[in-house]
Amino acid sequence: MSEALEDTGETGIGAPVRRREDLRFITGNGNYTDDLNQPGQLYAVFCRSPYPRARIDGIDCDDALAVPGVVAVYTGQQMVDDGIGDLPCGWMVKSKDGADMLSSPHPPMAATVANYVGEPYALVVAESLQAAKQGAESVYADFTELHVVVDLATATASDEIYEGIPNNLAYTWALGDEDATRMAFAKAAHVTTMDLTNNRLIPNAIEPRACLGMFESATGDYTLYTTSQNPGLERLVLSAFVQVAPEHKLRIVAPDVGGGFGSKIFIYAEETAVIWAAAKANRPIKWVAERSESFLADAHGRDHITHAELAMDEMGRFTGLKVQTTANLGAYLSTFGSSVPTYLYGTLLAGQYKTPNIYVEVQGAYTNTAPVDAYRGAGRPEATYVVERIVEQAARELGKDPADLRRMNMIQPEEFPYETPVALVYDTGNYEASLDKALDIIDYAGFEARRAAAAEQGKRRGIGFACYIEACGLAPSKLAIELGAGVGLYESGEIRVNPTGSVSVFTGSHSHGQGHETTFAQVVSDKLGINYDDIDIIHGDTGRMDFGLGTYGSRSLAVGGSALVAAADKLIEKGKKIAAHMMQATPEQVTFEDGQFTLQDSNQSMSIQEVAFASYVPADYPEDLEPGFAEKAFYDPNNFTYPAGTHIAEVEVDIETGVVSLEDFVAVDDFGHIINPLIVHGQVHGGVAQGAGQAIMEHGIYDEYGQLQTGSMMDYTMPRADDLPDFKVDTTVTPCTHNPLGVKGCGEAGAIGSPAAIMNAITHALGIKDISMPATPEKVWRAIGGNS
Amino acid sequence: MEQSGEYRIAARREDVWSALNAPDVLGACIEGCQRVEKLDDEHFEVAVKAKVGPVSATFNAALELSDIEAPVSYTINGNAKGGAAGFAKGSANVHLDEDDGVTVLRYGVKANVGGKLAQVGSRLVDGAARKMADDFFAEFSKRLDPDSVAVATAATDTDAAEEREFEKSGGWLMWVVAFVGLAIAVILAF
Amino acid sequence: MKVTLTVNGTEHAVEVPANTLLVDLIRVNLQLTGTHVGCDTTQCGACTVHLDGRAVKACSMLAAQAEGAHVTTIEGIGDPENLHPMQAAFREHHALQCGFCTPGMIMQAIDLIDNNDGLDSQTIREGLEGNICRCTGYHNIVRAIESVANAS
Repeated sequence: MSEALEDTGETGIGAPVRRREDLRFITGNGNYTDDLNQPGQLYAVFCRSPYPRARIDGIDCDDALAVPGVVAVYTGQQMVDDGIGDLPCGWMVKSKDGADMLSSPHPPMAATVANYVGEPYALVVAESLQAAKQGAESVYADFTELHVVVDLATATASDEIYEGIPNNLAYTWALGDEDATRMAFAKAAHVTTMDLTNNRLIPNAIEPRACLGMFESATGDYTLYTTSQNPGLERLVLSAFVQVAPEHKLRIVAPDVGGGFGSKIFIYAEETAVIWAAAKANRPIKWVAERSESFLADAHGRDHITHAELAMDEMGRFTGLKVQTTANLGAYLSTFGSSVPTYLYGTLLAGQYKTPNIYVEVQGAYTNTAPVDAYRGAGRPEATYVVERIVEQAARELGKDPADLRRMNMIQPEEFPYETPVALVYDTGNYEASLDKALDIIDYAGFEARRAAAAEQGKRRGIGFACYIEACGLAPSKLAIELGAGVGLYESGEIRVNPTGSVSVFTGSHSHGQGHETTFAQVVSDKLGINYDDIDIIHGDTGRMDFGLGTYGSRSLAVGGSALVAAADKLIEKGKKIAAHMMQATPEQVTFEDGQFTLQDSNQSMSIQEVAFASYVPADYPEDLEPGFAEKAFYDPNNFTYPAGTHIAEVEVDIETGVVSLEDFVAVDDFGHIINPLIVHGQVHGGVAQGAGQAIMEHGIYDEYGQLQTGSMMDYTMPRADDLPDFKVDTTVTPCTHNPLGVKGCGEAGAIGSPAAIMNAITHALGIKDISMPATPEKVWRAIGGNS
Repeated sequence: MEQSGEYRIAARREDVWSALNAPDVLGACIEGCQRVEKLDDEHFEVAVKAKVGPVSATFNAALELSDIEAPVSYTINGNAKGGAAGFAKGSANVHLDEDDGVTVLRYGVKANVGGKLAQVGSRLVDGAARKMADDFFAEFSKRLDPDSVAVATAATDTDAAEEREFEKSGGWLMWVVAFVGLAIAVILAF
Repeated sequence: MKVTLTVNGTEHAVEVPANTLLVDLIRVNLQLTGTHVGCDTTQCGACTVHLDGRAVKACSMLAAQAEGAHVTTIEGIGDPENLHPMQAAFREHHALQCGFCTPGMIMQAIDLIDNNDGLDSQTIREGLEGNICRCTGYHNIVRAIESVANAS
């Protein structure tokens, strides 16, 4: 372990504090949704369409209801009849002609037509799981098969899936100056062209989705325990849009959640149906997905086809970038499905470079496949893949060192803030610093020797770069809402200093592996000078905290952490008034540091605990001040944060078998200030592993008939321990300029840079322009001349 | 899924043909077969129940015969629904040849499967369907000639890239076999 | 049927249907929810427990197969005040994030240590082949196990 990660006993900002949440997880005391039970609970099993598109002509429940223990069968049509609304998409994206996107109707469970394999159309509830399963096996739906659209490449030329949605297009979105970009290409000295695919991924958090819904008929209170990354948003959507229950009568609890990676952001059919059914049955109902259901019905990620062209002048300076992408939206617009291939993708196509003219057009296409939505990185890995693959290829075509070509085109530190031609304003960065450090760590100069050594072993070694940028902590609310977002992008935080001086902190962010309970306590401890161990972080329960937007897009610290800083500042201001009154001075004469309110030019001071006590026992207290010592804040960032860095991969390809071995991986990332480096390194490791999975192994495949071929962990390959090397992770620091902690987001960077770096390394090793992800042994073997 | 195969059955072709068209014989050769009903010369309905552990599924198959050339061949189209377990549909043909008093049965099946059946992956379904075919013909031959067993002389799996043309022939029983194989496969896998 | 087995040192006689999986007996009947179910098909290893001293995947064996056996689950190796060295190493090295795969991973790691001499990074990685972690990229898990191997 590097020195910076040694446990020193420090607990403030920057200390590698060991996580407090670990104690319950390593001892088996975690509290995941499936660990919870209620007296008298029923068990739910969903009936799912085996057809990718079929009309439901009728559902025969008689046999199911005859199964001993089965209590009820509820159908999608019953939900519609009960007035339960569609699952909404939260971002209205407009086509380039100004037209609103075309949404397909999306009842929680299919009522009249099922549109992908695995879409639920009924649920069976029973006294035992076994009875519910038997019941579900005994439900007979009368399906009439309809024509299907599966292949993304031909989706927009296929017959309509939905009436009124011509060419199966939700939208054709565009960004950038098309004419200026065309002019740039007309004058280009060199143009590099690439056709790229970004493979469909299936998230596979190791905890399957689950929920436990309850209804209290005496009070009309609903409680839903569910595997959610954002319980506040879930409550809002289920009440305001889906109308399952009034917001003030609906409590959503997301207890310990076993990984999300985006897939647990969305409002799904299952928890909606379960909370609705719990009220109908007037019994608690529990549902836990089997893994095969996770494959079928969790939102998938990525799935783009892209044609890209990069124009350069005679020096190799980038003068224009044109990108045409078809993005697979699946059968329905999932909660944020519309925004991922548009605002989270097209806006990132400038990368780290000063490309002056960029134009991107994205066709969002419906297919009869599972909905596609945010998966770790959400749009930014796709953008980075386009930019960094084509830049690497351009270097090869120009005969330039790929590091040098990038360096020549990078935005320089003195050029910030930098407005890109695709609508973002980067606040700060130092891209060469990360590149230099990464080149040093990988020993770039020694590559040729390593390549020669590999060749002697019959292996082809390659090196590949990705100098990525990403935008996280999506913001600000006003701009996003103008661009079609249905919700704000702020976060809430509350700090309650209790009468005894201990602290309860409430955050709208949700932790499902990120370690907020540790990091946020470090922040509050540092800001208020209160012992770390006296601070408790509470999250994931709408019954306890303010409305908040949850965890996605690497936003928790930059937005949720900033909200806590803002709340702490308010507390300090109030504390100054209380302390000033008690020390017979004015608030302006009181300073606050390390937990002490001190009267300037005196030896008088009061601890924050003393101030808190005085606020709850206000004997000697300002007349114009409310008692109590708790403050809350909603923090709305005024810009994204822009983590950036360089990832370098080295691979070896076994010529005999086509097996790609990831030999070395360096990630040097600029996340601004770091609260807990131990946790940051862990986030990078995990992101890189998922990126390596995308590059080498993972692929969600539907056959031509719309059946999912990769529906189990036996068929969908994910990285295991012996597929990956030790990672070399380091950081550079340019603090974010617009949030109080100077922090950026670190959760997704690993997955954003790594696929392009690894694919650049593989194509470098093989001496070919492209091979589509994932670079499986068969594909590689064929690419190097194996028999086809 | 595509499969083809060949069995040698120690019986005269006419006897094999009539057995193939006798619902009771076929039903007896299929484990879990609940019902084989001949609606008319071209239409059959079959129900097969398979059950392992807590999971059970009944596959209801509707079968339609065409291009019947007794006692040599026919073609069949079928659609089997297994509720939550998924479905299978497609076409098959069976051709009977005489070879020195022995009947050589060649079959080819082209099917696609859906739902859980598809998720299992064709490698499992193929293997299970193959085993079911072998088991079926072993039982079938024994009934025609108690002293002999069917010998699978050749079997090949073909993928879509290498489609084979089968001569016009028939054999709706293969559908029963294939569907049962698929059903068993899915239940073992889940 | 009645299954009699010893779990974390305590003998239990549990009445369960014959098709009950060991993991369900542990989670549902004994309420030991530290052992998790991640995939139902023996692929992810979240359900790993020790059966007579060896790591097994409890999602793919019947409770009846554990008749008379000594089963150890994550709850049986240590508690927050008295951690097993492997538990402590996982925390020290940040070898877990969401924590869902962690109990199975720790049980597998202990099996590796107990049944191998001279574990190095590569053999640890190979030994974890049956356990999937989606959060950590394994890097810190390998470090944690190495540290225990080197200390013993």
